[in-house]
Amino acid sequence: MIEVTSDWYLTLSAILFSIGFLGMMVRKNALIMFMCIELMLNAVNLTFITASKHLGSVDGQIAVFFVLVVAAAEVVVGLAIIVSIFKKQESASVDMLSSSKG
Amino acid sequence: MIELLLFAIPASLLILGALIVVFAKNPVHNAMGLVLTLTSLAILYITLNATFVAMVQMLVYAGAVMTLFLFVIMMIGVDKPEQTKEQIKGQKLLISGTLILLVSVVVFIGLQNGLNWNLLFPQSEISLEGTPAILASALFTSWVFPFEIISILLIVATTAAIALAYEFKQSSDND
Amino acid sequence: MGILILGVILIPFLTSLFLKVIGKFLNELLTNFITLNAAMLSVATSFFLFGYIFFDKFKPLKFELFQWFPNPEINFEFYLDGLSGVMMVLICGLSLVIQLFSTSYMSKDENYTKYFEYFNFFVFSMLLLVLSGNFLVMFFGWELVGLSSYLLISFWSEKKSAARAGNKAFILNRIGDFGFLIGLMMILNEFQTFNFLRIFESSLETIPENLDVIIVFLLLGAFGKSAQFPLFSWLPDAMEGPTPASALIHAATMVTAGVFMLVRISPILQFSELSSLIIISMGLLTALIAAFAAINQKDIKKVLAYSTISQLGFMFIAIGSGAYVAAIFHLVTHAFFKALLFLGAGAVIHEMHHEQNIYKMGGLRKKMPVTAAMMGIGTLAISGIPPLAGFWSKDEILASVFSRGGIYYGFWALSLLAAFMTAFYMGRHWLLIFVKEPTSDIENIHEAPKNMTRPLILLGIFSIFIGFINTPFFHGLEKVLDETLKSVEVTHLPEGITLAILAVLSIGAGFSGLGLAYLIYIFDIFSYFKIKLPFLSEIKLLSKEVLFLNKVGNAIFVRGLKTLSRKVAVTVDNMTIDGIVNGVAKSFLRSSQQISLAQTGLVRNYVVYFGLFMLVLIVIYLFSPGVLI
Repeated sequence: MIEVTSDWYLTLSAILFSIGFLGMMVRKNALIMFMCIELMLNAVNLTFITASKHLGSVDGQIAVFFVLVVAAAEVVVGLAIIVSIFKKQESASVDMLSSSKG
Repeated sequence: MIELLLFAIPASLLILGALIVVFAKNPVHNAMGLVLTLTSLAILYITLNATFVAMVQMLVYAGAVMTLFLFVIMMIGVDKPEQTKEQIKGQKLLISGTLILLVSVVVFIGLQNGLNWNLLFPQSEISLEGTPAILASALFTSWVFPFEIISILLIVATTAAIALAYEFKQSSDND
Repeated sequence: MGILILGVILIPFLTSLFLKVIGKFLNELLTNFITLNAAMLSVATSFFLFGYIFFDKFKPLKFELFQWFPNPEINFEFYLDGLSGVMMVLICGLSLVIQLFSTSYMSKDENYTKYFEYFNFFVFSMLLLVLSGNFLVMFFGWELVGLSSYLLISFWSEKKSAARAGNKAFILNRIGDFGFLIGLMMILNEFQTFNFLRIFESSLETIPENLDVIIVFLLLGAFGKSAQFPLFSWLPDAMEGPTPASALIHAATMVTAGVFMLVRISPILQFSELSSLIIISMGLLTALIAAFAAINQKDIKKVLAYSTISQLGFMFIAIGSGAYVAAIFHLVTHAFFKALLFLGAGAVIHEMHHEQNIYKMGGLRKKMPVTAAMMGIGTLAISGIPPLAGFWSKDEILASVFSRGGIYYGFWALSLLAAFMTAFYMGRHWLLIFVKEPTSDIENIHEAPKNMTRPLILLGIFSIFIGFINTPFFHGLEKVLDETLKSVEVTHLPEGITLAILAVLSIGAGFSGLGLAYLIYIFDIFSYFKIKLPFLSEIKLLSKEVLFLNKVGNAIFVRGLKTLSRKVAVTVDNMTIDGIVNGVAKSFLRSSQQISLAQTGLVRNYVVYFGLFMLVLIVIYLFSPGVLI
């Protein structure tokens, strides 16, 4: 009988985070990159919940609650930015945006 | 056994969804992959006794945020295929370098510790059900100040989104 | 009681600071009120302190402000004995009198308050110098008087010559100060302290081997500050400054700092035969050259400047022959009569509407009787006519030189010649200004205002009577300096008939010098007897051009250095240093251009960098002690 411990969840969270990060690196579409950011945020959320369970404390869930709100706010602003970028250049590819080039 | 299945099935679905998000070509497929990930994550939350957070996850993420995403996808169109060829010079090299470093770090830790997380605290004896009542009693007592601030953040973000998306008629002078 | 020393030093400093801060809101009257009251306060304090140590039999008073450096112990300390007491009273008193004069002389100047600010700052620096308890504090004062002298010389800095004169004074002083600084370092190395008393005590036990070298370096400082050959040419140029400032700084006090310093270190100076010889020969050379140069100057102030240099030469002669009391005595009397002469010249210049050429004056005796009389007293005093002040001090110097015997007989004879020349040029100076037939229109010339004549009268009285503080019959100053010079072998005056003969000779030199001046410049003996002296015009030219020393010095040092520095500038600066600097700059430019290529502006690149950096942090964390191992 294998017992599911906190380590499993933490490993899963690390994998999810890595996949999200990989997506950030390889995808060009700003929208997809946003989804990858969501993946990473959710990986962190999973860690919080696991910690909450592991420590027997409700504070981890409160933190997830806050992360959720921040993520929602970020999505709202971020998507607005994407829309306005798209209006300008008819494409959501971030590779076209290099005005901060050194 | 049920416990293991309750972990394994959502976990594998979650990874599958995440991979769809990263590798699918069609943005709608990506969004569906994200829905899959978020839903299986909600199931995992329930197995972790965080019922209220699981509900919020379903409502806010899989519901509201995903709707937003789909709206935007519809606005900017899905017919334009994304350029899959890497255009940035050296990006491939950097990515593979990063991945190699990541893998080597993981392998190193695995060899050293046998993939054991060595958590500082032992598993707690108390099993806390994350019900709305318990969460609210914590949220509105010791966390009330951050809570208020986060509500201000939401209002600011909403205003910002409107300001960004709204077309101000400033350019009329230039016409 | 020691804290009062600090008070004396701080009063002029605070006055200066006060004037600096609120100077913009002050008119002339308020400035006068502040500065004169402060000067009176500091005179009162200094007299009180002097009286205190007088009744304490000149037991030195020490005051330690704070410890500066623990090992070797260097304190910020002050020291008041007979020597510094005399200087302190002299400085404070003269500063009051001269400030009173300045209120009239500087009136209507646009930088009126600034003048008094600088003036008070000078008084502060000079007091710091004379009241210092160790070489380091003295060096501060030494540098600060140089600074304030520079500020006052180039006070009218819109005049190019004034600015240049200030620079010259500063640079020539720097040459001397450089030597002084090296001397100080060697002293610290040798004695492990800067404190005067401890140095003197330890030198009584063992005389360091390189004492000669130390003293020669210190001498360089004294020569620079006291305008001795070869560093004297800044003093005549310094006459570009306001005349009252010249009276205080370039006649009475600052230029005597070198003399003061040498008397201060006399307990170690006496062991160095070599430096004594250097001092006396340089002093003699200076006295003669400057006296010769003063004979044919046409600027009213330059005559006095060369005269000051010459008189300083006398003081150095006294020090070189071991007559330290006589040196200080001459310093004091000279301070009074030279301040008198300078202020008198200031009054004349003021009334002549800034005309400084003495050939254009003449006949002013009738127009400015008080000034003429007082400058006459000054002239008699400097010429060594008894019973005025200059006679007693100069005679004491000459007699002291004579009493050393041997080669000093020759030195005595040359000093007597210098004294004769002094009387001659001073006689010429006074006669040309006040007696000779006027060459220009002087109808509208009036006597100077009361604020000018009163200080003149006061200084005139002092110039007559100050000599009595140390006569062969009453050794007042010697008693004052007794404590300071207790371990010093001071050359004493010869006794009886020798002294009388020497006195008669020096009086004779004075009278004959004045008489010759009268014969040549008023009676015009050359044209009367139709004598034609050979080489007269050449001698005149030589005197006017100061033996061409300035020109030679310019040719060698200024032009030579210019050429050299230009070469250095091209090879070292342009090629080497600029090359290095520009190379570094260029390499930075290139490397930053290279590095800025990393700033692609592409978000996905940044994401990768971010991840890489995070991984690096994780690796560092893993390998930090206590995590895995």
